[in-house]
Amino acid sequence: MTPTVGPRRARPEFAEPLTVAVIGTGAIGRDLVSKIDRSPALDCRLVAGRNPESAGLRYAESLGCATTAGGIEALLAAPRPFDVVFDATSAASHRDHWPLLEPLGTLVIDLTPSKVGQMVAPTVTGVSPADGRNVNLISCGGQAAVPVVHALAAHFPVTYFEVVSTVASVVAGRATRLNLDEYVATTGHAVTAFSGVTDVKAILNISPAVPPATFRTAVHARTAGADPVALRAVVDRAAAQVRSFAPGYEVVACTVTDDLVTITLQVMAHSDVLPPYAGNLDIINSAAVMVAEQYATRPDRPTRTGVTS
Amino acid sequence: MKHVVIHDPTLRDGQHAVRHRLGLTALRRYAEAADAARIPVVEVGHGNGLGASSLQVGQAEVSDDEMLSTVREALHHSRMGVFMLPGWGTCDDLRRAIAHGVDVFRIGVHATEASLAERHLGFLRDAGAEAHCLLMMSHMASPGELAEQAARAVGYGARAVGIMDSAGHFLPADVTARIGAIVEAVDALPVIFHGHNNLGMAVANSVAAADAGALIIDGCARGFGAGAGNTQLEVLVPVLERSGYATGIDLYALLDAAELAERELMPAPPVTASMSIVSGLAGVFSGFKHRVVELSAAAGVDPRDVFFELGRRQTIAGQEDLIVDVVTELSNRKTDS
Repeated sequence: MTPTVGPRRARPEFAEPLTVAVIGTGAIGRDLVSKIDRSPALDCRLVAGRNPESAGLRYAESLGCATTAGGIEALLAAPRPFDVVFDATSAASHRDHWPLLEPLGTLVIDLTPSKVGQMVAPTVTGVSPADGRNVNLISCGGQAAVPVVHALAAHFPVTYFEVVSTVASVVAGRATRLNLDEYVATTGHAVTAFSGVTDVKAILNISPAVPPATFRTAVHARTAGADPVALRAVVDRAAAQVRSFAPGYEVVACTVTDDLVTITLQVMAHSDVLPPYAGNLDIINSAAVMVAEQYATRPDRPTRTGVTS
Repeated sequence: MKHVVIHDPTLRDGQHAVRHRLGLTALRRYAEAADAARIPVVEVGHGNGLGASSLQVGQAEVSDDEMLSTVREALHHSRMGVFMLPGWGTCDDLRRAIAHGVDVFRIGVHATEASLAERHLGFLRDAGAEAHCLLMMSHMASPGELAEQAARAVGYGARAVGIMDSAGHFLPADVTARIGAIVEAVDALPVIFHGHNNLGMAVANSVAAADAGALIIDGCARGFGAGAGNTQLEVLVPVLERSGYATGIDLYALLDAAELAERELMPAPPVTASMSIVSGLAGVFSGFKHRVVELSAAAGVDPRDVFFELGRRQTIAGQEDLIVDVVTELSNRKTDS
């Protein structure tokens, strides 16, 4: 088990912020743009969507970002490549986008469950990709569960993991709905990758409950003889680390029944544009922005590419 | 005489009543009996469908592959059906089911969430398979909303659409309004009704559905299903026949199949227990019953309070982890007072 690396917040000491573009103007893209706007390390130069009428594009305009309804083509047509491109479209679209972006030397931060790039969960992997220029944020359920499954597997002999997330219907956009299969596959893959446990299952519920259900993830683990007090300490430690970048991350239940451990995690959103229940978007976007901010501080960061705005 | 198609999910929905522990012998024996009775469609699987075996809702006794191959071998006249919830099962599960020779695929989504089925209905349409879309917990949506969702499902590729009264909450007039609205919205396509018996209305609701134009009606032997159970198949069929709907089912063989089901599938047939009446009134998924009763007993709280609180929070199937929260909260409230 690799030692846990605590996330480091980028500090506002940038002579020149990174130039950033966002593809995708759905629920994820919109919150992402607001988080980028707040970051002194990142300068949002273009938000690209497909639908000129989309609320996401109008929101980006209201923050003073350049926008286009020309999609990835408009982004590729920029005079100089962006330092960072966030892909907030869909898994299938990302698979098309990556070969187009790869030759540009851009750091691509993928918020879809495409499984293409190097998986990042900040408190487990750190936010500085060791190699490659495609970083994948797994899934919202993956961001919530990976810190806990990683910690549990390090301390207890776990033979099976199950990760069940619930997302409010009103913050599950069309791409999310079409990507349920990829969500299931990629989240399960991440649980295995960061725990070493091969027998895993991931489930996603989209809840239409009113008022909307706060994003939550139940982690079930089969493990013999877990001491409830020791378990709680391990889980609380992991949760405290996650709160360094997602302050609404909370352990709401932690139970041991025979050889079954269940940990219920809830994430409230702390965001300019998200309702509190949309913790699914907040945790994945906060992690994505941290990756970009960390990249901005790297000594080996490429010389300024920039674009004319 | 008008015709209705009876769809029998005994070996799928019944699994909720036995924590998904039906073995291969039980599956084979009932499938053979249903086949002998000429029940048009026999559905099989984990209670939550393909790919749903899990700690969250219960791990199945046998794998999906074993269930499908066993039941396939037992069916010569009846068609084989499966159920799947997007987010639980995936296109990989559907692909395997197609390879097993499944005839009818049902994709279940919450009443207001037809778009969750877009990918899988499209996949099945492109594969040339017969796909149905079921709107679950349909008491949580108005007739107009259900009609709109049903029309969307048809657009995605569903060849039949309908509603499940997952909580057993409807009275016949509720069903008449909803099925009527859907029939109007989907033109010539078959409309489905799937009842539960919490308030003793399942057969009456099913007749109301047929009268309102539903062409596919679900029923389980002895009502085998979660909580108070489903519409009791061997009552439903002769009642529909007397009401003027042909089913093509052999009554005596059907009654025999029901007896076999009672002997070999269940410890006891479902009864409308007090807790089931409460879950029906509260509009909460019947499958929560075991977990609610167990956890409430352990914490010393009244399970009826837990059900009404789950209903207040509009909890839906799959949110079983919320039961722990509610029980803990009620238990704390009790300690505090």
